[in-house]
Amino acid sequence: MAQVTFSYTGQLANAAGESEVVLDLPDEQSDLRPVLDLLAARHGESWRELVLDAEGRIRSTLLVVIDGVQAAGDKQSLSLTGAGNVMLMTPIAGG
Amino acid sequence: MPVVERIMNQESSLTDLDRAIYEWQLDVPGFGEEGQASLRGSTALVSRAGGLGGPLAFSLAAAGIGKLLIAHGGELRHDDLNRQVLMRHEGIGKPRVESIRETLASFNPHVEVEAVPENVSEDNAARLVGQADIVFGAAPLFEERLLLNRECVRQGKPLVDAAMFSLEGQVIPIVPGRTACLACLYPEIPPHWKRRFPVIGAVSALAANIAAMEGIKLLAGFGQPALNRMIFFDTASMRFQQIQIHRNPDCAVCSSS
Repeated sequence: MAQVTFSYTGQLANAAGESEVVLDLPDEQSDLRPVLDLLAARHGESWRELVLDAEGRIRSTLLVVIDGVQAAGDKQSLSLTGAGNVMLMTPIAGG
Repeated sequence: MPVVERIMNQESSLTDLDRAIYEWQLDVPGFGEEGQASLRGSTALVSRAGGLGGPLAFSLAAAGIGKLLIAHGGELRHDDLNRQVLMRHEGIGKPRVESIRETLASFNPHVEVEAVPENVSEDNAARLVGQADIVFGAAPLFEERLLLNRECVRQGKPLVDAAMFSLEGQVIPIVPGRTACLACLYPEIPPHWKRRFPVIGAVSALAANIAAMEGIKLLAGFGQPALNRMIFFDTASMRFQQIQIHRNPDCAVCSSS
């Protein structure tokens, strides 16, 4: 069992109504993708739509930051093994 | 290798008046007369001078940049005024560029200001970027931001991308060929982004001034610009952090640069 803090920025934080969630993840649940389903069930459909596309794939514009470093590689198979803090960031702009 | 290759060999030696105006910053370690002369010889393109680009342009003018080229279309509205510090109440209903020109001219008449009453578009992006030594992206729409990014990468011009939302802000300094570009992070237009979003003017001004400082460092060649890092802050908790970001080897915009 590993404790991981998920924090949200931008539209994601607004949609969730909270900016941080701490989850105890079982060791066998180490990939990001199924964890997003857990979080979407908690936060609702508007949050899910910001994170996942209609086919259930993680959106290309979602920035995933693990312990201060942008996660590189394929987000669809991203492992959270060893992660302490995961930031999920949706794009923001000016105006 | 200098980050900024200047497009013009402008006369950049300082006058006595320059020394009088910029005296307080000439003493900044690593900046000095050489940094001031570099700023004076530089042209910055600011894409929209709203809540972000306005205070950003203001700080570049205060620092003594040579020329500000500002692209911003449309007429001033009441709901611009909580954050767009270059605007004036008497400018409501008039082209925003009028307020921009007047405010900057009265603040620092020694800075050349060219305010273009258009937003960055496919029609003008190459020309506008081509006139600048450095570009600041502060537009509300990703169509504009990604277009500006593409053109900066194509022309090898540094871009400082600034953004805000609610109580948060972020700044990404981009040097084509050396850092991640905006399309490395956002390869497509985010489908759920809305033109209208919550923000307090102090937050946009904070992001703007971080972006201005990153640009000043790039132009003057001092300090350590946050290359391959996103500067992120949340004023709700006053948390500031730098996030390490990476180039995308498959980026459709910059992978070959």
